[in-house]
Amino acid sequence: MQRRTFVVQTAGSLAGIALLPDRSATGPRWLPEPKAVALVGVGRQGRAIVAELLKIDGAKLVALCDIHPARVKAGLERAAGIEGFQDHRSLLDKRRDLDAVIVATPTHLHPGIVTDALQAGRHVYCEAPLAHTLEDAKAIAAAAQRSNRIFMAGFQGRSNPVYQLARTFARTDAVRSLVSMYAQYHREASWRFPAANAVEDKTANWRLDPEVSLGLAGEVGAQQFDVVQWFKGGRPARITGRGAVLFHQDGRKVPDTVQADLVWPDHATLHFEATLANSFGGQHEVLHGVNGAIKLAWTHGWMFKEADAPTLGWEVYALRQQFHSDEGIILIAEATKLAAQGQLKAGVGLPYSPLYYALGDFLKSVTFPNVPVPCTAADGLRATALGILANRAIVTGETVEVPEF
Amino acid sequence: MTPAAAGAELRLATYAMGTRFELVIPGDESEQFRPAAEAAMEEIETAHRLFTPFEPDSWLNHLHRVAADRPVAVDADTFALFVDALAVWRASEGAFDPTVAPVLEAWGFHPAHGPSRGRFTSWAGAILLDPATRTIGFGREGLRLDFGGIAKGHALDLAARGLREHGVSAAFLHGGTSSAVGLGAPAGEAGWRVSLGPEHQAPVVVLHDSAVAVSGTLGRSAELGGRVFSHLIDPQAGRPLEGRGARRAAVVGCSARLADAWSTALLVLGAVPPSFPDDWLAWLGHEAGGWAAAPGPWSPVPDP
Repeated sequence: MQRRTFVVQTAGSLAGIALLPDRSATGPRWLPEPKAVALVGVGRQGRAIVAELLKIDGAKLVALCDIHPARVKAGLERAAGIEGFQDHRSLLDKRRDLDAVIVATPTHLHPGIVTDALQAGRHVYCEAPLAHTLEDAKAIAAAAQRSNRIFMAGFQGRSNPVYQLARTFARTDAVRSLVSMYAQYHREASWRFPAANAVEDKTANWRLDPEVSLGLAGEVGAQQFDVVQWFKGGRPARITGRGAVLFHQDGRKVPDTVQADLVWPDHATLHFEATLANSFGGQHEVLHGVNGAIKLAWTHGWMFKEADAPTLGWEVYALRQQFHSDEGIILIAEATKLAAQGQLKAGVGLPYSPLYYALGDFLKSVTFPNVPVPCTAADGLRATALGILANRAIVTGETVEVPEF
Repeated sequence: MTPAAAGAELRLATYAMGTRFELVIPGDESEQFRPAAEAAMEEIETAHRLFTPFEPDSWLNHLHRVAADRPVAVDADTFALFVDALAVWRASEGAFDPTVAPVLEAWGFHPAHGPSRGRFTSWAGAILLDPATRTIGFGREGLRLDFGGIAKGHALDLAARGLREHGVSAAFLHGGTSSAVGLGAPAGEAGWRVSLGPEHQAPVVVLHDSAVAVSGTLGRSAELGGRVFSHLIDPQAGRPLEGRGARRAAVVGCSARLADAWSTALLVLGAVPPSFPDDWLAWLGHEAGGWAAAPGPWSPVPDP
């Protein structure tokens, strides 16, 4: 690649820089010795977890558990040599060989399972959000802190190598001072799962039950709130929101379209919007700083520099590509080495899913207890609280203050 | 292929594997099956994420990275896909070959991951399946797979199975109109009537809990030196089939993924081998010259 390729820039446009972390941070995860893992909750997220565990050398899935027999049966097809359970207490009683338990049940069922697993002496990974009430989320965090086991909350941004790299830019002069943030989750789907009868419908479609559901803000947005809170440092001061059922007129009460504004003490605002009526743009976040902006889309990330922002040394190694109406620069850490190997393009996009890295981080801490988890119980509580409070703001229409957790 | 459907229906679609997948459930009560239909669409999207060679985080690329070093544990469905792919590779004497990725890369149909191997030699024999541990390993470094000739059918089979499990008795699913599954039959019909081509006299097949796949040398193509080459690879020649005198093959059977693989194999062979399943149906033809049913072994391709 010619040097001049790097310095050409379309007039009037921002330079987009694809964030790509060090490839050693993105490569396959493996454990030096096998760890026996059980999964509780074999719904859609549980099945995704099984698929990712199968990719981690040394992660030995030995059992899974779900109250629905059909899900247990289907789960057993997904990994060889595992045992099925319908009650998590039976699982904990019988499988004394477990190192760790991964909890991926409906949110409101997390607390009992997490505390039972911790009391049984197992390390625990709990899917996000931690719980559907502040009391339950605090109880989980307290139980995790009391135990001498590893506990990790499943807010995946903190394990994501793209997000980790982006955060270094967001907190330095490259972006400097986040003044405005945006996050969206757009999907065309009913959020309703097949169920054979009314009893199964109640348990399968808990997301549409206002008694236990945190809605789009809590169940999905909390992941994105955590990213922004982690990048910006400190919690927002207050949240406003609104929502309605605009598309899926099937008698549901949980809004299918919502917006929320999370306002930090310096008045910087995260605007969140989610809908189940339209898939345009999917799920992503855009963080605007004084010197540049970052767009994050979970497996990819880009940075857009203002024209007068300081030039960064790594820019000379970056690949450029057209990004919408702007000419973008693909950033690749270790670009010098990769360029010498002619492999700059080989690294665009994460080679594994964000969930894979989160599970890999958890099992690494299980193996090496002195290695801290990237998302602690306290981190998980703070992120869960934002989801709960944002949902409260949306449902009540009232401004909700955010206390310290 | 065009499904015949009338009256009230639930229709969903998604983009996956470089094409558009569509699902139709007929009947006044079809809306009640929306959750099941969405789950079926998710099966297709999941299959795309697993098997696409174009995304670095696909399971297929994970396999490429590690399977030569250690066997990779897989779910039962993926293992069955590999079993079927290798079964058709053997039965077709290599006319369908899941290891043609380097040829596709060399001809620009595929993301390049490394240097081309030059003259193509099948490495399908180096795919090591262990049913006892349900693992897949590679017997040699650099082996790369392309499931373009079978993944669509696999996704449709999984989606149809999910619909069945959730009580859907009649549905039609297709991927890019080249692979389709007819589940049950629309009310008052014997099955789903599917035309094998746009022309007036194209054969019509009736699908009832069965699948059809059509392969042709038209579609994605590359031009080199004034000659047009298909994206379909002839493994024995180690090069794409040429587009001139475009050929096509259609297969009807009980499995969309096997139909997919066999239609590719028949297109490459230009005939139906003795190993073709006895109770399946096949057609061979030229784009310009119509179709010929090919129930017997080694039926010649009719001239255009």
